[in-house]
Amino acid sequence: MSPLLEQFLSEARDFLQGIGEKLMQLEAAPADADLMNELFRLVHTLKGNSGLFDAPEMTRVLHAGEDLMDAVRNGRVAYSRPLADRLLDAMDFVGMLCDELESDGQLGAAHAGDSVRLVDALRHLLQPDDAPAEAPAPESTPESAPAPTASLAEPTPVADTASLPLASIPEAVRMQAYRRACAGEPLSWLAYRPHEQCFYQGDDPFFLARQTPELLWSRIEAREPWPPLAELDAYSCMLDFQLLTAAPRAALEEQYRYVMDQVQTTEVPRLALVMPQGDPNGGPVYDDFAADARRLLQTGDLEGLARNASTLLELSSPDLWIASALRWLQLVLETEPENKAILDALVDCLGSLAAPQWGTAGAAETHTASASTSIRQDPAPRNERGQEAEGVADASDEATPALSPLAADALAAVVAAQGEVLALTDEPRWLPGRLKAAAAALSGCLRATGATAKLQDLEAATAAALARNSGAPLLTWIAAVFPAELVGEPGAAAPVTAAPPSPAHSAPQPPEAEGEIKFGRRAEDAISGPKSLKVDQAKIDRLMNLIGEMVVAKNALPYLAGRAEAVFGVRELAREIKGHYGVINRIAEEMQGAIMQIRMMPVSFVFQRFPRLVRDISRKLGKEVELILEGEDTEADKTIIESLGDPLMHIVRNSLDHGIESPELRRAAGKPATGTLRLRAMQESDRVVIEISDDGKGIDPDIIKRKAYAKGLIDETLLEQISDQEAVNLVFAAGFSTTEVISDLSGRGVGMDVVRTAVEKVNGSVALTSQQGRGTQIRLSLPLSMAVTNVMIVVSDGQRFGVPMDRVVETVRVPRAAIRTIKHSLATVLRGRIVPLKSINDLLGLSAPPKANADDELAVLVVRLGDESLGLLVDDFSETLDIILKPMTGVLAGLPAYAGSALMGDGSVLMVLNVKEIL
Amino acid sequence: MAVEYKKNLVVFHDVVGVEDAEALLEWLQKKRTAKVDLSACTHLHPANLQVLMASKPAVQAWPADAPLRAWLEPILTAP
Repeated sequence: MSPLLEQFLSEARDFLQGIGEKLMQLEAAPADADLMNELFRLVHTLKGNSGLFDAPEMTRVLHAGEDLMDAVRNGRVAYSRPLADRLLDAMDFVGMLCDELESDGQLGAAHAGDSVRLVDALRHLLQPDDAPAEAPAPESTPESAPAPTASLAEPTPVADTASLPLASIPEAVRMQAYRRACAGEPLSWLAYRPHEQCFYQGDDPFFLARQTPELLWSRIEAREPWPPLAELDAYSCMLDFQLLTAAPRAALEEQYRYVMDQVQTTEVPRLALVMPQGDPNGGPVYDDFAADARRLLQTGDLEGLARNASTLLELSSPDLWIASALRWLQLVLETEPENKAILDALVDCLGSLAAPQWGTAGAAETHTASASTSIRQDPAPRNERGQEAEGVADASDEATPALSPLAADALAAVVAAQGEVLALTDEPRWLPGRLKAAAAALSGCLRATGATAKLQDLEAATAAALARNSGAPLLTWIAAVFPAELVGEPGAAAPVTAAPPSPAHSAPQPPEAEGEIKFGRRAEDAISGPKSLKVDQAKIDRLMNLIGEMVVAKNALPYLAGRAEAVFGVRELAREIKGHYGVINRIAEEMQGAIMQIRMMPVSFVFQRFPRLVRDISRKLGKEVELILEGEDTEADKTIIESLGDPLMHIVRNSLDHGIESPELRRAAGKPATGTLRLRAMQESDRVVIEISDDGKGIDPDIIKRKAYAKGLIDETLLEQISDQEAVNLVFAAGFSTTEVISDLSGRGVGMDVVRTAVEKVNGSVALTSQQGRGTQIRLSLPLSMAVTNVMIVVSDGQRFGVPMDRVVETVRVPRAAIRTIKHSLATVLRGRIVPLKSINDLLGLSAPPKANADDELAVLVVRLGDESLGLLVDDFSETLDIILKPMTGVLAGLPAYAGSALMGDGSVLMVLNVKEIL
Repeated sequence: MAVEYKKNLVVFHDVVGVEDAEALLEWLQKKRTAKVDLSACTHLHPANLQVLMASKPAVQAWPADAPLRAWLEPILTAP
């Protein structure tokens, strides 16, 4: 998993959590605009982030959520509990996708359908006249099958496949499709209506359609007549794609997963393809044939029938309708001769010259004929329902001629819908009207099934219901007449309108149907714990303080052991205390290391902004620069990393502005036109080193010298003496700038000074080397962590002081005779170099003179100060110690002479000198 | 060049991308009697397809790519 994805997932969880919380809070205070804005921002950000990954389902759902939130924010839609429910559902779905992304690294295509359903549910709420979700409008006639896709096309009460222009498919293709369907392959009609703006999103709908798996037939249609060429907008997609495919549903979802909302798929029962076409010119000979055929069929002489059919086919013109019907007859005889029902129907239609009515003939075809369902629905339960429906039809009236499966299916749905309507417990003003409507629908059902005898019962039940103003009597009646299990599961049998994309047509969704869209991430479920924690920095700091105290307390143990031996004379106990001290020491150090590890961050945290910065600046300057980042995973303490940001920014800007030349100059100098800027981080023992190097023109020491002199930074003598290396380091002096003109990038004369100050603030150092014409290298050296400071303890005038170890060069004892006085200041010669000496007592305002030891030698602590060394005269040296340095606070913060204080093991306070400040 | 404009004939090669649609539209506006040679075409972006459908130029040669031809023939055949 890429770090980016990891971060996204961790953030997404936070966002989801935040969205959930905000939604809850909004329930208490729906009018809170701030909360709403916050919520919108969360959803919006999450959507934007999700767009970076291959997760179209997630983005789609979030986009719908965002639109909805926007509408709510602008007051176009009122906040309501169902709205919150749907949003929470959608967020659960997103959470589930996140889980899958985390475990598999990618998303399967299986969620496309779910996502579209959620999007529809969300978009549905965007309707301004969002009527309370009533039960679906009662179908007035039992023939009106619940046709999910028909709602988009035309509202005529026909089975949905009939609304498809299947007749426009050539007969040969249909026959081929029929054969494949007989072999068990699912047939689907797919209508793909790309967005008008889709070309701008880089879509190629034509290519997508061409890549459809198992494509049997296809066509392209223009949505409307083409305008004159002069007015044609080539980039507004006006094409619709329609195709017939034998691919399984999952393959289609995979293929169209990015445009699921623009695709409408309908399963095509194979019988819908049997559609004889041609010139309806008949004749008596065909009547004879039909009579013959029926007889042959009844006797089961299929061979004879096939023979007759082929003979007649040879005699007929192939364009005739009858010939087409014969060809179908042949095909059915060939593929499934045992299917009497289909053969019956075909022979019937030969006699009547009318298209076969599969609704009444396909009794054995329950599955295929009734499974005309949208791709967005699982067909399985529907098939079961078909069978159930058959049972219902039988139970309701045995005497009735067997209902066609389609009709039975419809009947079941209609009855279930009425049951649902009647079961509603609210009492609107229109309740009597609702009851009457339900009763009318039910009586229609009875008439359709021929059970007119039961009409009286129904009337009585209706009257009772109206009198009591409740649906209960009718419900009882339904339970008595139709089997209980059917009415017992409203919602399942109700027309689960897979809310069509065109919202204008969308029927209100029964709330129960939504209840099915759950994604296993309810509050009561066990939450899979995230692998990383976000912790408030203050908590880590507290830990850090505590471990500091622990270290101090631990350091008291050796003193205790010493006292046990010296004062109380129990050597045994002293040894045991020391032994224990060793154990505690080890644990404390490990603990300290672990806590510091928590605060460690990779330098990539600051590096990552540079690619963009370098790109933008180099564009602006008209230079070509290649940025190379190395060692991004080098880690250092958070404060150190954060303090790096500004200095690095200045250095990089300087390099780009002053260092790297324009492409022409570079070519003239024989260098590649593209300059190289290298940011390299590495760890060197307990320090992290960052090198910024460019291959630009370097720094001309002469110019620096002259500028520095002109600005009064150096005097004339220094101007003569200063080495080139020292000169280039003058750029770190305050107020130094080489450019004459101040640009918005650099030249204000604060750049390198800021760098030095910022780096020194975190006990770092900066060094610059430059070769004229070859480039400049700046090296930042920073401590890995600021928490623990290694100090050397020195004693002067009876007091102990700490000096940070990184300042200390060496400790020497110098004979008093070797110390010279040059112009009031002391100096000595160490290994051939003159080292100026200063007495720490003088610097701190202590009146005592430096103490010498028995051999009349003075203790000199040589410290580094920039590039120079300096000797501090002290009385004595003591041990070095790791301490937790506490900065001076309160009134003491104004004392620059001390960097801070630390507690010693024996409870005394050690003052740590800020060497730079006291000199 | 995926689209080659000759005197009164436009020839499509390989894959014709979305960016060619505008030029194609302009060219076909000027040459109302132009013909199209699709024989070397393997795919064309629907933006181009729309232009062809709207301008109805005579197709001189259908694509050699049979599936593509099956897609195009019904919609580009002159009525």
